[in-house]
Amino acid sequence: MNDAGTDGRGMLRLEDVHKRFGGLEVLRGVDLSVDRASVTCVLGPSGSGKSTLLRCINMLEPPDEGRIVIEGRTITEARGDDLDYVRQRIGIVFQNFNLFPHKSALGNVSIAQQKVLGRSREEARERAEQLLRRVGLGDKLGEYPERLSGGQQQRVAIARALAMDPHVMLFDEVTSALDPELVKEVLDVMRELAREGMTMIVVTHEIGFAREVADDVVFMDQGVVIEEGPPSKVLESPQEERTKQFLGLVLEH
Amino acid sequence: MDFILDYYFDFGVMGDEFDPILTGFWLTLKLSIVGGITSLTWGLILAVLRQLPGRALAPFRWLAIAYIDVFRGIPFLLILFLVSGSLAAFQSEGVIPRELGIPTWFGEGSPFWYGVISLTITYGAYMAEVYRAGIEAVPGGQTEAARSLGMSHGQAMRYVIVPQAVRKVIPPLLNDFIALMKDTSIVSVLGVIEVVQAGRDVASERFNGSGLVLGAILFLIVTIPLARLVDYLIAREQRRTQRGGKPAPAPAATGMADPGTGGNA
Repeated sequence: MNDAGTDGRGMLRLEDVHKRFGGLEVLRGVDLSVDRASVTCVLGPSGSGKSTLLRCINMLEPPDEGRIVIEGRTITEARGDDLDYVRQRIGIVFQNFNLFPHKSALGNVSIAQQKVLGRSREEARERAEQLLRRVGLGDKLGEYPERLSGGQQQRVAIARALAMDPHVMLFDEVTSALDPELVKEVLDVMRELAREGMTMIVVTHEIGFAREVADDVVFMDQGVVIEEGPPSKVLESPQEERTKQFLGLVLEH
Repeated sequence: MDFILDYYFDFGVMGDEFDPILTGFWLTLKLSIVGGITSLTWGLILAVLRQLPGRALAPFRWLAIAYIDVFRGIPFLLILFLVSGSLAAFQSEGVIPRELGIPTWFGEGSPFWYGVISLTITYGAYMAEVYRAGIEAVPGGQTEAARSLGMSHGQAMRYVIVPQAVRKVIPPLLNDFIALMKDTSIVSVLGVIEVVQAGRDVASERFNGSGLVLGAILFLIVTIPLARLVDYLIAREQRRTQRGGKPAPAPAATGMADPGTGGNA
C-alpha cells in the first residue's frame, strides 16, 4: 500500500467497508482506491449499494465495519467537529438536488461558506457568484429553487458543493431525476470539472459519460465490487458474467 | 322580545361603559401579545431540545417530551393557580427574591405576570408540538445537504431546518394564538380586570349583558381577521405545493385540535 497523500495515488481508500440496514447487508466488503485528479465511475443495477457507498464515504451513513482513509486521515474514526471538518473536504451532489428552498441560488451557495468556513458575507457572495457563473447560471443569482428547472437546480447544487473547496466530489445519480433534455447541461459541467482536475466519484447510469470521462470504472452488484478497471477494459471487454449481463441490458435500449 | 334585545344590545349601556370595556380589552391584548411571544419562543426551544441528536443528549430529549406531555394534559386554570400560589409562597419563605415571587415588571401587577408565566407554560407545550410537526415535515434530504456541507447539527437546525419548519407552521401557530388570546380571560380569576371581567362588572351593576357583548365584538374584531389570515396562508401554501416541486406533507395545519377548549375551565 503506497503512502497516501504524497503523490496523490490512493488519496481516497476504502478498505473492507461493510454497511447493514437492519438485517440487510447493503455493502459486503468494498475495497476501492481513488487517485487524486481521477474520475471514478461506479455502475451497477439498482440496489447494488452504489449510493450507499457514496453516503458512507462522507459518513452520512457511517460504515459498520472497515476503514475509509482520505489524504492519510482515517475518517471512520472521526467524531464531532472532526467529522464536520472532513465533510467540508468531501462535496456531494444528490439525485434530488436538495437545494435549500428558502434561499436564492446565491444564498444556497454562500450560506455554508459563511457559517462553516467563516468567510465574510462579501467574500462568500463573490465566490458564490463566480461559481454560479462557472456553471452557467450567472443570470440566475437571485432566483429561488422553485423557479429553476431541474438542470439549473442541479447546477446550483454542484456550485454549492464546490464553494466549500472540496478535495473530492461525489455525484449520486445526479442526472437520474432530470428530464432527458436537461441531462447534457449537467454532464457538461461535470466534464469541465474533470478536465480541471477535480477528484470525482460518479455513481451514474450514463454509460456514454463513463466511457468518455472516467479513468476508472467500477462495476458493483449485491454490495461488492465485481469488476474494476479502465473504461476500455470494463465497458468494452468485460470479464465477469454479471458485468456483461448488466451492460447488455443497459446498452440494448 | 324587546327585553332580550335590550339585554344584549343596549347601545346606551355600550356607550356609557365603552371606556372600562376598552381598557379591559387593552389588557387582554397586552396579555395575549406578551404571552404569545413568550409561548412562541419557549415552544421553539422545547421543540429544538426534543430534536437533539445522539445518546449523550437523550436526557434533554426525554425532559422535553415529559414536559410537553405533562403540561398539555393539565387545565390552564390549574396551572394559573399553581403558579400564582407557589411563587407568592416561595418568596414569603425567602426561597426566591421578592421581585420574582411578586413580579411587577414594566408597570404591570403580579397577576398579569402570573398570567403570562402560566400561558407560557401551557401554550409553550402546545406550540412545541406544532413546531415539531413542522420540523418533521422538512424532507430528510435537507439535513443531509446541510451536514454534507460541514454544518454541525445546530447549524443545520438554525440555518436550514427551523426557518423552513416555521414557515410551514405559521397557520397552526396562529390558530394556537387565537386560542391563547381567548384563554387570557381565565386570568381574571386572579383579579385582573381584562375585558371579560370588565363586562361582568357592567352586567352586575346594570343588570345588562351589553358590556359582555361589546367585549365579544372586540374579540371578534381581532380573531376573525386572524382566522381569515390563517385560511389565506393555508390556501397559498397549497397552491405553492400543487404548482410544482415536491409536495411537502402538510403539518397538522387545519386538523389541529383546538387547545382553547381549556377556556371552559
